[in-house]
Amino acid sequence: MDSAMQNSNPTILNIADLPTRLRPASSRKSGTYRGGILALTLSSLADPTDLALSPYGSEESDDDTGLMEEPIDEQEIYDLVSTISDPEHPISLGALAVVSLPDISIRPTLPEVPSSLLRTVTVLITPTITHCSLATVIGLGVRVRLEQSLPPRFRVDVRIKEGTHSTADEVNKQLADKERVAAALENGTLMGVIAKMLETCQ
Amino acid sequence: MADPAASSPHLQLLSDLTPPSLERTWLTAPHPRLPIVATCSSDKTVRVYSLTNFRLLSTISGGHKRSVRTAAWKPHVQGESVLATGSFDATAGIWRRWDGYGQATDGWGLGQREQVTNNNDSAESEAEEKDSLRHDENNEAEDDDDEWRFAVLLDGHDSEVKSVAWSPSGMLLATCSRDKSIWIWEDLDDGDNNFETVAVMQEHEGDVKCVSWHPVEECLASASYDDTIRIWREDLDDWGQVACLRGHAGTVWFVDWEAVENVPVGLVEEKEKEAWREVAQRALSGPRLVSCSDDRTVRVWRRQPKEQAPVAGTVMPSIIRPTGMDETWGEEAVLPAVHDLAVYAVAWSKRTGLLASVGADGRIVLYEERLVDAGSAQPMDTDPPLSAPAVARTEWVIIAALTGAHGIYEINHAAWAKRADRGRNESKEEEVLVTTADDGSVKVWTVQR
Repeated sequence: MDSAMQNSNPTILNIADLPTRLRPASSRKSGTYRGGILALTLSSLADPTDLALSPYGSEESDDDTGLMEEPIDEQEIYDLVSTISDPEHPISLGALAVVSLPDISIRPTLPEVPSSLLRTVTVLITPTITHCSLATVIGLGVRVRLEQSLPPRFRVDVRIKEGTHSTADEVNKQLADKERVAAALENGTLMGVIAKMLETCQ
Repeated sequence: MADPAASSPHLQLLSDLTPPSLERTWLTAPHPRLPIVATCSSDKTVRVYSLTNFRLLSTISGGHKRSVRTAAWKPHVQGESVLATGSFDATAGIWRRWDGYGQATDGWGLGQREQVTNNNDSAESEAEEKDSLRHDENNEAEDDDDEWRFAVLLDGHDSEVKSVAWSPSGMLLATCSRDKSIWIWEDLDDGDNNFETVAVMQEHEGDVKCVSWHPVEECLASASYDDTIRIWREDLDDWGQVACLRGHAGTVWFVDWEAVENVPVGLVEEKEKEAWREVAQRALSGPRLVSCSDDRTVRVWRRQPKEQAPVAGTVMPSIIRPTGMDETWGEEAVLPAVHDLAVYAVAWSKRTGLLASVGADGRIVLYEERLVDAGSAQPMDTDPPLSAPAVARTEWVIIAALTGAHGIYEINHAAWAKRADRGRNESKEEEVLVTTADDGSVKVWTVQR
C-alpha cells in the first residue's frame, strides 16, 4: 500500500474557485474537521439561509419553498464529497478535480412512479491518471461518504467518468456491487484508509 | 378485503416478522418441515422467527465475526433442526437444535412432538423438559438463544462466503465465495460433526454469488460476478462443470430451480396440462432454471434434451470430455422487464409454479407461465417449423407488481413457504412469500387471486 506514489505531481485547483454552499465551520456542529487547507473552502459563498444539507434538520428551511421539500441537490452532494481527501495526497478530491459539480446528477430512481421518493445520485469520478489503482478506493470513499450522509431513499451510483481510466468497467462493477461494498465496510484495513480520507469532511 | 379492486391478483401483507433486526438483513430461509424461518443479518446473528405468530423465537449469535450472509436448513433431519450459515468472515457454520420449541406460543409444537419418535429420546425429552421449564419462567419464547448448539465451523474459503446450499438428500453441502470457488462438503453424519471436502471447483472467473441444487439430483447450479451460470455434476469420482450459461449482461445474483413436477397453476383442464407437458418436453429436459441479474432481467433456462444434441458429423466431438457429461442449456425466456435496478433474488414456487423477483428498486414482481394458443399468437402458423423445438409456446405474464414493498428500502431476498398462521384455509395448502430487506424488515405476503 505504501509503494511509490502513482501520481506525484497532480494538478491542483485553487480551492477558492471551487463551488460550495458550505458556511463557516464555526457555526456548524463540531465534528472531525481538521482545518488546514480546507479552511479556505469554507469562507467563500456561504449562504446560511440555504443550508439544507442535513436531511434531519431540514424542517427549519421548509417555509421558503413550501410545496416541494427536496432539500438535497447536486451542490449538496458536491459539498459532501469534494472535501474527501485523496488517499495519496493531503489534498481534497474537489481540489484535484476528481469530483466536479457538472459530473453529479440526481434523478428519480423510478421515473414512471411519480409518487416514489427514491432518488439516484450519480457521481462520476475523474481519476488523476488513467491507470490509478487507487480509483476503487476513491470511489469507495465517495460511496461510503454518501451512504453515511444521505437518507436511505437515495441510491448511490458512483462510477469512473467514461474515457478517464483504463480499467473503468472493472472498477465500476466493483463499486456497484452492494455485497462487495458491504463486505469492504467490514474490512478493518480498508476502512482505516477510508476513515482517513473522510477525516477532512465535516 | 371486499375491495372490488381486489379481483385482480395482488400481494397482500400478512405480517411483518417482529421484532426486526436493526441492521441489514440479507436472506430468509424457510424450514423444510417446521413453520419457522431463519433470517441472516449484518449484525452477525441469525434470527429464527415463527411463521405461526410471526414472532422472534431465538437469536443465533456468537459464531460469526462478520455479517451472516446466507443460511440453509438441512433437509430430511427428524427430531432436530440443522442450519448451515455462511458469513463474510469466510467461514460456514453448522448449528443444531432439538425440535419442539415455541410450543407455549405456537400451535404446531404439539403435533411435531407426536411425530418425533426417533432413537434420540433421552436428549430429546431432556431438551423439551428444559424448554417447558423456561416457558414457565418466561412466557416469551425469545430467551431460548442458548438452545442452539454450535456444531462445527467449515474453514477453507479465502474470503466472504456468499451462499450455502444442501443437496436434496442432505448429504452434501455446497458453499461459494468471493474467492471464486465452490466447495462441496460431505456431511459424514458420524455424530461427531465431521465434514469432508469432496470437491473444490474454481472455474468461475469472479465471485460466486449463489449456489442452488437441482430438486432431486446431485447437480449444482451456480451464479457469478463473471455474468455466467454454471452447472456442475459428479462424473465417476470428479466434480466438474457440465455447462456454462451465458446471456446475462451483469452479475448473476441468484438462481433457483423449477420443481420436478411443475405444471402451471393456471392450467385447469387435463387437456391443457397435457399440452403443456408436451410443449416443455418435461421428461427429457428436466427442471428448468431461473436466474436474475444486475442487468435487471430475469431469465429462464432450459436444458436441451440429449436426443437433440448435434449428431456426430455436424460438430467435431470434444476430445476433452468425451463421456457425454456435457449438457447444452439454452435461454428459454427473458421475463417481461419491470425492475429498474439490480434484481437480487428470484424464487420459483415448488407448489404453484409462480415466480417472484425482488431487487434494489424495492419491487416485488410475480410472474405466471401460460400456454400460448398457437393459432392466435403465431402469425406464421401456415408454415410451422417442424424441426424447431416447440418451447416458444408458453409465455410469462406479470400478474402482480408491488412498488415500495419495504418502503424505500432495497429487497435482498424472496422465498416461498407454506402458510402456517391461524388465518389460513386448512382445507388447502396455502403459500406465503417471505421478503427480506435492507432495513432489517422481513415481510410475509399472501397472493390473493
